[in-house]
Amino acid sequence: MFEPLDKLLTNPIRLMVMSVLIKVSDCDFNYLKKVTNSTQGNLSVQLKKLEESGYISIAKSFENNYPKTRCTITKTGVKAFEKHFRSLQSYQNLDL
Amino acid sequence: MNLYLKIMNHSEQLNLINDAINKTKEQLKPTSVNFIFWGLLISIMSLIHFSFPEFIQITAYSSLLYWTILPIIGMVFTIIYNIKTGVRLGYETHIGRALKLVWGVFNMAWLMLVVMAVCKKQNPVEEILFLLGVVLLITALLIRFTPLIIGGITVLGCSILITVFPSINVLLINATATFVGLFIPGISLYLSKKHV
Repeated sequence: MFEPLDKLLTNPIRLMVMSVLIKVSDCDFNYLKKVTNSTQGNLSVQLKKLEESGYISIAKSFENNYPKTRCTITKTGVKAFEKHFRSLQSYQNLDL
Repeated sequence: MNLYLKIMNHSEQLNLINDAINKTKEQLKPTSVNFIFWGLLISIMSLIHFSFPEFIQITAYSSLLYWTILPIIGMVFTIIYNIKTGVRLGYETHIGRALKLVWGVFNMAWLMLVVMAVCKKQNPVEEILFLLGVVLLITALLIRFTPLIIGGITVLGCSILITVFPSINVLLINATATFVGLFIPGISLYLSKKHV
């Protein structure tokens, strides 16, 4: 029996953001922008969607008068990512 | 490539996860700078104290000030350096966070040991070296770096040496322990291409 894929994580940018956040305890917006190679606006939209689903938490602050955005994966996000990863692996095995 | 518009199959998704995780590694080069700095600082301080005791021990408290003020300045320097490195990197890995907490606790324990030693009028080198050896071993096992494991064991050995041979020159042992336990593994880590 194959588990369905998490539709929220089939988007490449959201999947990449979740993959980075699973490895780190927290990460800033600029690093995510660099890794995903996306625009500021696009990344903000994708982060907002992940935050609304409870997968990540976003903390905004100011550092030297510049806005600073830091993202952290939540427990719900970790569970969702692990489930999605397992599903992908099961489909991958099917392809083989 | 516009990732937003791309539709990926299962293998591409797995590859993307793999790529993202591989890009986000614990950078050990900045960590090694801490080891090099502390290894050099404490070794040189020990050798200066050993060579010119008449200057360092000029008053009852001058030696205490020498061994607290300089390391505290060093701590401030390394804290600022690590904060700047963290900001430049843009992320903190789970291992990085664990190392930060372990060394934060070490700094506090070191200060407490110094205060306790002053109260008891004892030399704290033996206890500090034991604590340093333990923390070095924890760090080495976390980042899986053999030269640091050897360094940690050496520092623990030096601590035991002071216990077994109380008449041994503590300053020379301190200089040796920090040089072998911190400086040499720090240089090895700086030159290695290891990431975790």
